[in-house]
Amino acid sequence: MAVAQSVDISESLRAELARAVGPENLLHHRDELVVYECDGYVIEKNVPDVVVFPTSTEQVVAVVRLCNTYDVPFVPRGAGTSLAGGTLAVGGGVMICLTRMKRILEINTRDRYAVVEPGVVNVWLTRALAGSGFHYAPDPSSQTACTIGGNVATNSGGPHTLKYGVTVNHVRGVELVLPDGRVVEIGGKAEDTPGLDLAGLVVGNEGTFGVVTKVIVNLTRDPEAGRTFLGVFESVDQATETVSGLIAAGIVPAALEMLDTLMIQALEEAFGFGFPTDAGAVLIIEVDGLEAGLEHEAEAVAEVVRRNGGSVKNAIAWTTRKEPEYVAIWKARKSAFGAIGRLSPTFCTQDGVVPRTKLPHILRRITEIGAKNGLRIANVFHAGDGNIHPILLFDERDPAQVRRVLDASHEILEECIACGGSVTGEHGIGVEKMEFMPRLFSPSDLAAMVALREVFNPQGRCSPGKMLPIGVGCIERKSPGRHAPA
Amino acid sequence: MNWPDSPNDTPLGDGRFASAVERPTDRQELADALGRLAAEGIGLYPQGGRTALECGGIPARPGVAIDVTGLSRVVDYPAADMTITVEAGLTLAELQRTLGAQGQRLPLEAPAADLATIGGVFATDSSGPRRFGNGRPRDLIIGVAFASSKGELVKGGGRVVKNVAGYDLPKLLTGSMGSLGVIVELTLKTRPRPEATALCWSTWPGMEPLEEVLGVLNTSRTRPVALELLNGPAAEAVARRSGLDLPAGGVVLAVGLEGTETLVSWQLDVLEAELGGASGLVPVRGSDADRLWGALTDHPAGGLALGGEGEASSALSFKANLLPSSVVAFVESIDPGRWEVQSHAGNGIVWGLGRPGIEVDRLAEDVTRLREAAVSAGGNLILPRCPTDRKPSLGIWGAPRGDWELARMVKRAIDPAGAMNPGRFL
Repeated sequence: MAVAQSVDISESLRAELARAVGPENLLHHRDELVVYECDGYVIEKNVPDVVVFPTSTEQVVAVVRLCNTYDVPFVPRGAGTSLAGGTLAVGGGVMICLTRMKRILEINTRDRYAVVEPGVVNVWLTRALAGSGFHYAPDPSSQTACTIGGNVATNSGGPHTLKYGVTVNHVRGVELVLPDGRVVEIGGKAEDTPGLDLAGLVVGNEGTFGVVTKVIVNLTRDPEAGRTFLGVFESVDQATETVSGLIAAGIVPAALEMLDTLMIQALEEAFGFGFPTDAGAVLIIEVDGLEAGLEHEAEAVAEVVRRNGGSVKNAIAWTTRKEPEYVAIWKARKSAFGAIGRLSPTFCTQDGVVPRTKLPHILRRITEIGAKNGLRIANVFHAGDGNIHPILLFDERDPAQVRRVLDASHEILEECIACGGSVTGEHGIGVEKMEFMPRLFSPSDLAAMVALREVFNPQGRCSPGKMLPIGVGCIERKSPGRHAPA
Repeated sequence: MNWPDSPNDTPLGDGRFASAVERPTDRQELADALGRLAAEGIGLYPQGGRTALECGGIPARPGVAIDVTGLSRVVDYPAADMTITVEAGLTLAELQRTLGAQGQRLPLEAPAADLATIGGVFATDSSGPRRFGNGRPRDLIIGVAFASSKGELVKGGGRVVKNVAGYDLPKLLTGSMGSLGVIVELTLKTRPRPEATALCWSTWPGMEPLEEVLGVLNTSRTRPVALELLNGPAAEAVARRSGLDLPAGGVVLAVGLEGTETLVSWQLDVLEAELGGASGLVPVRGSDADRLWGALTDHPAGGLALGGEGEASSALSFKANLLPSSVVAFVESIDPGRWEVQSHAGNGIVWGLGRPGIEVDRLAEDVTRLREAAVSAGGNLILPRCPTDRKPSLGIWGAPRGDWELARMVKRAIDPAGAMNPGRFL
């Protein structure tokens, strides 16, 4: 059943929270709280009873301690761009919104790290590093909004993680406020800190281990130059065969993204970037590295494109990632969700993963599943990682369509599992996909994960009802999607 | 159960021996054995190629050696997906041969690759010079299965390169030193083999200019995959081990490159300019480069781990982890008369091997001083090798850290019987 419930937040807790963070950093009026009733996953909603905006680790500690004293659940939140309900205030309680802890505390290019507060928006760090010869590699499509604290919680990916790795590969350490209010330094600025790799464990915890209040991230040397171009194909099949062909040929592009015809048309209608609207599919292919090797690599890529019946267009040679054509092509890719409104009032984005050689198969299956359920499905995704994002279009006012979208989503994710893949590559389990966990993991796997959660969060007060299905009632989904941006 | 009076031929390290050996060929059989033995209060000591047997605290309770070398199958190698799933007992060298047949490799090196099992390499978080360019074990593992002292098989991650379902058990098991469970299966990311590799071996009269040189290399036009700094005696030992005629006798900085032939040649030319202050510069290519990579990879483990090469081995070794900018000053403070020092300078890792013939007391004094220096520079210092009688006083795992309590709680959660590798790590 629906998870919505509420705890009784007493006047005295609210007053103490206001003293802890300052009244200007606390919201409690119903109309102010509605903004925080959900994240990018809008199926399940529940308003928290209070939202606090701490500005320091000490304030986070004070808030967490008060939640313990008053026996109230709490949930950390960044920018709320999560697509799986990771920041839903299941059970109400106190939402700890970290967007006012937004300082970049240190940048050290000699030792290749930066220390940031959790509310720093991903792209701010990229901007702060411009011209230094270094960058922060994980670049989710939502990077102009999402926070690095949120990236740590969900182990975010992005187009360039194909070559450079996901968030966990770039986090050296964190400062974590445990759910009982203790502060612990995990990992550090130096590599190979003795002990267990708890930093590796904490990344991707989806807020169930406590509140991350500082992050030490790796800085990556910029490539000297790159080539970015479009592979244009008549069919999705040709494009996915090209992806498999590139990987099999031992080419590791910096990014390898696919858009199908529906997505291309939506983008062109919305923004007019100049994608070929008559193409069945387009691959955005990027190689980077030393200039002296790029022509050779680009030619090898083009050869695979041509062998699969495609043609190469819009080749851009770049050195700084700031060339206007380069910026335009990636703006187009990262604006994809924003363009969906041209196609449909509501949509549901799925996040599945298959082995890369299974891409042609899964895309064919998605088409079949769409046809069977009478649904239009657009595709824009991280092809090089095998990380699919089918976008199911529907009108939420029609209950029959809603039902069909839920069925189709389920079928697609089942097929990913059958292919040996996963139900989430980067969005997380959150509340959305808990029902799939027993399909991916055995009871003993899940028991080990529960035991780990209890090490950090023994009372279960922090982010209750997330990620692990044990002890949580089945949640009935009534609606699968979210609203397209106006 | 007591320690065996008459040692059989299965050592546990620190002069202690196993009362029995379990060598299952099936993972469920292995898990069952762990559960049964742990319930009897018997210590469980996982072993692969026994290349890191002396590493860690003293085995704390009598027990059984759990030999994983009976589990050595390639489970699944979909080469076109650039992933491989293998059992833990496969050696690193055998794994690389399997991948090499498809033009691929695991971009990871570890000492004694012919003996070291892939499970052991990951359990001990081993790596080598090319970690600077290619990453660490944690960057290559995407799935793991382990047997626990509860008698269960537990898995985390999966077989696809991107996956955020569930907690990241593959990272947790990497570097867990057998203290959580016995790794039985790993899924790893593979990469294409580079067409060419090379090393630029540069000699320097002293350490003074090297911090500036490393600073230049940090923003080099080239993209080195390794930055190895060697003091005089380490340079001599590495040159000798490689069998190449390389100039030694001073400080050496070896810069490693990989890529196409064209790119490697271009980078060697650029490096010649960037290393202009060196007193000697020798480009090492082709099969010579392979031998030098091997020597640089094996040297930090010292003679002992490699077994029977007839080399004098050091009784005491350290591994310091520092910020890269602290490396030169740290290495400079170490007496080359007492220590062979090799640093993965781009990563801030410094290995020291006590030189044969130097009294352990002298080395122990140095360790205490160097650890203080490492800690005050934001790092730490552990002792991969240490005489058994010194282990309690010197502290194998470095200065205490704030997250050790959590680590011990994690250990208790996964191994409530406390049976896994007791005394050695957590």
